[in-house]
Amino acid sequence: MARKPKPEKVDVCIIGAGASGGTAAKVLTESGVNVVALERGPYRKKESFGGDELANVNRYNLWPDPILNPRTYRGSNDEEPREELFCPVPQMVGGGTVHWQGWLPRFTENDFRLKTVAGEVPGTTLVDWPISYEDLEPYYTKVEWAFGVSGQAGANKYESPRSKGYPTPPMPTTNYARKFHEGCNELGYDSFPTPMAALSEPYNGRPATALSAFAQQHGDPTGTRSSALSVWVPQALVTGRYDLRPDCYVHEITTDEHGRAKSAIYQDADGDFIEQEAAVFMLGCGAVESARLLLLSRSGRFPNGLANGSDLVGRNATFHEYSAAVGVFDDPIHAWAGGGYVAASSFEFYEHDDSRGFVGGSHIAAAGVGIPLPINWSLPDRPAWGAEAKRMDREYYDHSFAVGMVLHDMPQHDNRVELDDTVEDAWGLPVARITLNPHENDLAMGRWVIDRNAEILDAAGATKTYRVYPERVTGNCSHQHSTTRMGDDPDTSVLNRYCQAHEVDNLFVVDGGPFPTATGANPTLTIMANAWRVAEHVVRQRGSGRATTTAGKGA
Amino acid sequence: MSEQENGGRLFFDEHQWATVEAAMARIIPTDDQPGAREAGTAEFLDRYLSGIDYVYAKPDGSGFEKLEGKRAGAWRQRIDALRGKYAEGIEELDRRSRARFDRDFVELSEDQQDEALAEMERPEQQKDLEQAQVATGYGAPPEPAMQQTSTEIELDFFPLLALHTRQGFYSDPVYGGNRDRVGWRLIGFEGPESLAETHAGRYTTRPFFAEEQIDWKKENGHGS
Repeated sequence: MARKPKPEKVDVCIIGAGASGGTAAKVLTESGVNVVALERGPYRKKESFGGDELANVNRYNLWPDPILNPRTYRGSNDEEPREELFCPVPQMVGGGTVHWQGWLPRFTENDFRLKTVAGEVPGTTLVDWPISYEDLEPYYTKVEWAFGVSGQAGANKYESPRSKGYPTPPMPTTNYARKFHEGCNELGYDSFPTPMAALSEPYNGRPATALSAFAQQHGDPTGTRSSALSVWVPQALVTGRYDLRPDCYVHEITTDEHGRAKSAIYQDADGDFIEQEAAVFMLGCGAVESARLLLLSRSGRFPNGLANGSDLVGRNATFHEYSAAVGVFDDPIHAWAGGGYVAASSFEFYEHDDSRGFVGGSHIAAAGVGIPLPINWSLPDRPAWGAEAKRMDREYYDHSFAVGMVLHDMPQHDNRVELDDTVEDAWGLPVARITLNPHENDLAMGRWVIDRNAEILDAAGATKTYRVYPERVTGNCSHQHSTTRMGDDPDTSVLNRYCQAHEVDNLFVVDGGPFPTATGANPTLTIMANAWRVAEHVVRQRGSGRATTTAGKGA
Repeated sequence: MSEQENGGRLFFDEHQWATVEAAMARIIPTDDQPGAREAGTAEFLDRYLSGIDYVYAKPDGSGFEKLEGKRAGAWRQRIDALRGKYAEGIEELDRRSRARFDRDFVELSEDQQDEALAEMERPEQQKDLEQAQVATGYGAPPEPAMQQTSTEIELDFFPLLALHTRQGFYSDPVYGGNRDRVGWRLIGFEGPESLAETHAGRYTTRPFFAEEQIDWKKENGHGS
């Protein structure tokens, strides 16, 4: 194996170049900080993307290949784990934002204090966040304007106060958004245009976003959608201070004699092992893989994994199971036309309401069918084959749409990410093993919200509706949180309120891992806003010469 | 044997091809509109199983990607597993056809073929099948999962065949199926003329959006 020279120590080493790592890189480099980014996957340019459902969805062109990157899953500690591609996220520069739906609602004030609002929920580890909506509000605004988000301030009557509107108006109305809006009006429910990672008109030197059927789960060949790949990464690169190294898989974070993070040991595309030292390390690998990397980084001082003296790394994992009611209509809906992407939403069931018999609530939204084709689309009563299956494809596909939900699943101590005992990935490292059993509150919320969604479809004139209740959590929407919770108490959290490890003061996590709870809304806008906040904190500490030595309570 | 000597077939032998084509024609039958046979789903599958040269079309439609490294290894492993399933599955289908009707599957009437295929979905496997359908987004759930967890090499022969028929019927014609875009015409999908149209950003679905836009500000009465 060739010997390569050890690279120079850098100010900040970020593991991952997706939504969170990309945001942090932009903020740090624009503030004069030198950053090395180690990204496990390739750096794919827009020219490598196309409108090909078979490749992108069925053949793992964008998804992790389960032969190379398997995970295991079990429903409880007593079950034998089985290989399952649980809650995957594309492993590449840009991460999940390369192929996402890109719905970017803000959380609300009560999301940061649900325990105070709803009280104890037996069997859960529900907590308030150590930060408030007011703490994040300036960063929501920064992200919306720097990233490029389309939306209509004030259209969501349940939205918390915002200091500024959106940089561009809502995207054009799809037929399914219109039907959803009509159904909501009929029932007296508020609805609003889903804030989206797309530009309805030229903005900031960028053209308006191309409208294609191939959007959700497809890379964007035009580069006109807002993503970490098309916005944050180029903005960081142009500073000249962003050393982005794709195809570099970090195996371990080492520590020095003081227990501080010292280096990342990674394997590059040639298979060579390289050690990168840095003053500060930031993990943005997604809540599953960041937890896994900490657990892989064992040492005499941290025998259970880096920063895991609390035994909380990997615990309280939440995954936002996606489910939907589907309506069939007489008139054509062309729900494929928005690419699953251009939609309308409601927060009517978002805030907690004691009278519903469960805690929390959910963002609901109209959604397309197919991705965009019926290759991966069906209906519960559609046979697997034969004349009737063909009839349903012909009569229903172009005439239906879904009203989906983001399940606000409750945190539980034993729902967790660990290292698997037997299964390894193609790099010889133990894979993430997910143990997850849904709480009764999750199932009750799912049933209740899906019933409301079906009623909206009925009110919109559906001739037939299907109600698909979430019955188990499969990680089917790639959202993942809470494996490295932030909090003020080192006994009940992994990170402090600045997402800095209580035990390792130069180690930060900036993905969904720090979220103490899942909330009922799509997490990425908040992940990016929080990453921006944390990056500013790192810049401040560096500027003050404290060199991030202030880990601990209230730092 | 060259492709030409082999009648255009890349992987299947003549009997296997005929069996798969006949079974696919029952999975998406021909009626007043084309079915799997006219779409060329057997050709689609034969190409897929031929090796790793037809896994990913180039995004501009100008041929296929050459796979390398770990990715190529994973695909060789996957295609090998699928080949085995098809070779065994076709034998099993014939065995059952002969046991019940005294003839190979291809020689049965359409009704008999339906019976033989239904038997392949045999009750003792029903539970596995349903689980597989959930795992692949095929059959259920009703709306595409927001991610794809398909691990098709875990499927049995019949659900695999049904899945590949569907893929060959609806995927981009560049893969050898969906000939003359018959799959897209059946369902009313106004897709791009070619992968190049999407790649270049010329394909737009704007004409299929709502004619009348919602004025959110006005209708909600509490604009910014």
